[in-house]
Amino acid sequence: MVQPAQNAPLSGMKVVVRASSVGAAYAGRLLCILGAETLFLEPPEGSPLRKEPPFLGEEKVSALFAYLAAGMCSAVFDALDEDGRAGIAALLEEADIFIDDTPSAQRAALDTDPQTLAKRYPRLVHVSVLPFGASGPKSNWKGEEIGLLHACGEGNLLPNGLSFEVLPDRPPVKIYGHFASLQGGIAAALGALSALWVRDEVGGQFVDISIQDAALAVGAFAVQRFGDGSVEHRSSRSFRFGGVLRCADGDVELLTLEDRQWKALVELLERPAWALDPALDTSIERSRRGTEINANIRAWMRDKKVSDIVARGQTLGVPIARYNTPAEVLADPHERARGLFAPVPIEGIGTLDMLVAPFRFGAEPLALRQGPPALGDYSPPQPISQRQPAEAMQASAR
Amino acid sequence: MTKPLEGVRIADFTVHAAGPFCTHMLSQLGAECIKIESAHRPDIFRKPHPVYGRLGPASFDQVASNKLSIRINLKHPKGVDLAKRLVGISDVAAESFRPGVLARLGLGYDALRAVKSDIVLLSVSSSGQSGPDSHFAGYAPLFGAWGGLGYLTGFSDGPPVEMRHAMDHTVGLNAALAVVAALHQRRATGEGRHVDVAAREVASSLIGEALLQAAAGAQPSRIGNDHPRMAPHGVYPSRGDDCWIAIAVGSDAEWRAFVNVIGKPELADDTRFSSESERRRHSVSLDAIVSGWTKLWSAEEAAVSLQRAGVSAHASWTTREIVDDPHLGERRSIVTVSEPDGRQRAAVGVPMRFSQGEDVGIVRGTPALGEHEDYVFGDLLGLSDAERRSLQDEQAIY
Repeated sequence: MVQPAQNAPLSGMKVVVRASSVGAAYAGRLLCILGAETLFLEPPEGSPLRKEPPFLGEEKVSALFAYLAAGMCSAVFDALDEDGRAGIAALLEEADIFIDDTPSAQRAALDTDPQTLAKRYPRLVHVSVLPFGASGPKSNWKGEEIGLLHACGEGNLLPNGLSFEVLPDRPPVKIYGHFASLQGGIAAALGALSALWVRDEVGGQFVDISIQDAALAVGAFAVQRFGDGSVEHRSSRSFRFGGVLRCADGDVELLTLEDRQWKALVELLERPAWALDPALDTSIERSRRGTEINANIRAWMRDKKVSDIVARGQTLGVPIARYNTPAEVLADPHERARGLFAPVPIEGIGTLDMLVAPFRFGAEPLALRQGPPALGDYSPPQPISQRQPAEAMQASAR
Repeated sequence: MTKPLEGVRIADFTVHAAGPFCTHMLSQLGAECIKIESAHRPDIFRKPHPVYGRLGPASFDQVASNKLSIRINLKHPKGVDLAKRLVGISDVAAESFRPGVLARLGLGYDALRAVKSDIVLLSVSSSGQSGPDSHFAGYAPLFGAWGGLGYLTGFSDGPPVEMRHAMDHTVGLNAALAVVAALHQRRATGEGRHVDVAAREVASSLIGEALLQAAAGAQPSRIGNDHPRMAPHGVYPSRGDDCWIAIAVGSDAEWRAFVNVIGKPELADDTRFSSESERRRHSVSLDAIVSGWTKLWSAEEAAVSLQRAGVSAHASWTTREIVDDPHLGERRSIVTVSEPDGRQRAAVGVPMRFSQGEDVGIVRGTPALGEHEDYVFGDLLGLSDAERRSLQDEQAIY
């Protein structure tokens, strides 16, 4: 078992993850990087995530699996046979948290339905991560990422801004990757730790996570605005000025909400006559004349370099950012200085820089101790009775 | 029976969307969240921003729900003292100022530890508390741009797509997870932590696999609604104006089920579509076939038919369908909130269900500025009426 960093918040916690989809696996990754000893439970043929693109190189090594399972150990058990279920039971006996995305209808046959687990392991926090949750009329529906994005509303609202302006007849466009599923994973990790927080008062419990719910939660403002009487649509969900702007060598994002930011933008634009119109001192007038303002901004930006504009703009206090490619994110001096990436070995590929975690707990980043596990690399600790005498004495003393 | 985080108190200095969403989540899980503003500097999102194209507050009601509101003028020395007294009886302090601002106010981590040695301080910012860009200003679309998610989202022949509030709230959801992890560590060690959440790093964490590809020398790019493995996979037109359905066929078995549903069983034997790779290779003609069928049906009818056959499909929902959905209503993912003025509105609940303890979620609507000062200043901090009047006269409470 790989030991977590000493200063990791969840040091000493034990998590078992059974995941064939992104949401549950990401919940495990988050708890793992936070310091929990995390076992990735797999069938003998391996989790389907191991075969999921995108791949690294020609070796068909899944970049997705590598990212999701980094830091974990892989424990292989065939849940369809009795020995396998006994092995899983032994792991759950020791675990604080069990994260599972097995469809509800299949859980009882595997002895991992909520009722059985609650009876056998009264202190276990059992977290279910399913596309539409474990209860409700759609709880048995299948949910791939693209469907979940549209079930939560965010899918229908994209693209907005410039993309809609130049390609108005296209269907709504998906957010890259696994945005909705990852929300389910974050919510599952939060739900798990929240349930664990009150374990001494209420015991273990079942936590039901729906990826649709989680993705809906982060898109909550559309619902608030519906209550205010407006239904958002991607065609009108644009900033009156700013947004995606094309420069000579790439794209930038600009958003000015405050008067002081507008004034800084005028400075960035080199105080053109149109921007000095006193009528534009009010945000309402700027909104009303947004199209005109944007035409001027776009014309000014067209032959400028992204790095020049962003550096000067941020110095002036203009909220402006480069649209970074993944390679640019990876090489960015800021990300490097903060230790966002760490080198990890990936079997068959070599050592690659991998994103560690989107949060830190003090000056130092969290530590990513290893890459994705080889299938079945977990070695259960020997029972004390089978160890050499000196080792057994040390274990007993601990 | 309690809610998971009952007994946890948060002194909430956050503004905008990301930080407030974090504390909103924690408050729904049972934490007592005391929101600190002043008449001079209310939360910027209490007021309208016409650049969004609306004349009402864009987003405040949702994330302010459940919170208690007090006024403290942090520019006044006695206001700072009052804030410290509040932190002294809190478990968590949360802020989202630019890095360095809290310390300049006299409320940096060291100052807060001096009044509460085990305080967990959450700092949410665009670029983190350290690094060369830490002073950068930003909002959700900029986070997505910096982090690479914006670059990767969009059509292959179009510009990048700006992320909106869902990006902010993803930052907040990650922050909520990190705070609860820090609380667990405090319980285990007696030590508080300074939790540093950089929004651009959260955006990057959503494309971990693409960053890994880039580290391996590949150049991931925008792929619209395509999937690197599945076909059919996309958003297809349905009967009606601007109506769409998201469909993802995840396996050969699902493909065979799909062709039966659309009444073209002969396609199961069509060599152009005999495997995932062949279907992807012929995706243009395949998508034409799929669209030819989806146009005949309402998105809801088609989704139900496909789900019955075991194929992932979902209508592309606007907010109206979300608010009216029985599944989301049964799960309390959509709830009705009563505002203090008696107005009722739809809101999004907390995305997790616990089998033990009280129901989690929203218990009250938007607080008026300073609405809960009798409780906070009087009951919690023990200020007399005369002391409060004096602080108000000096505009420390303002």
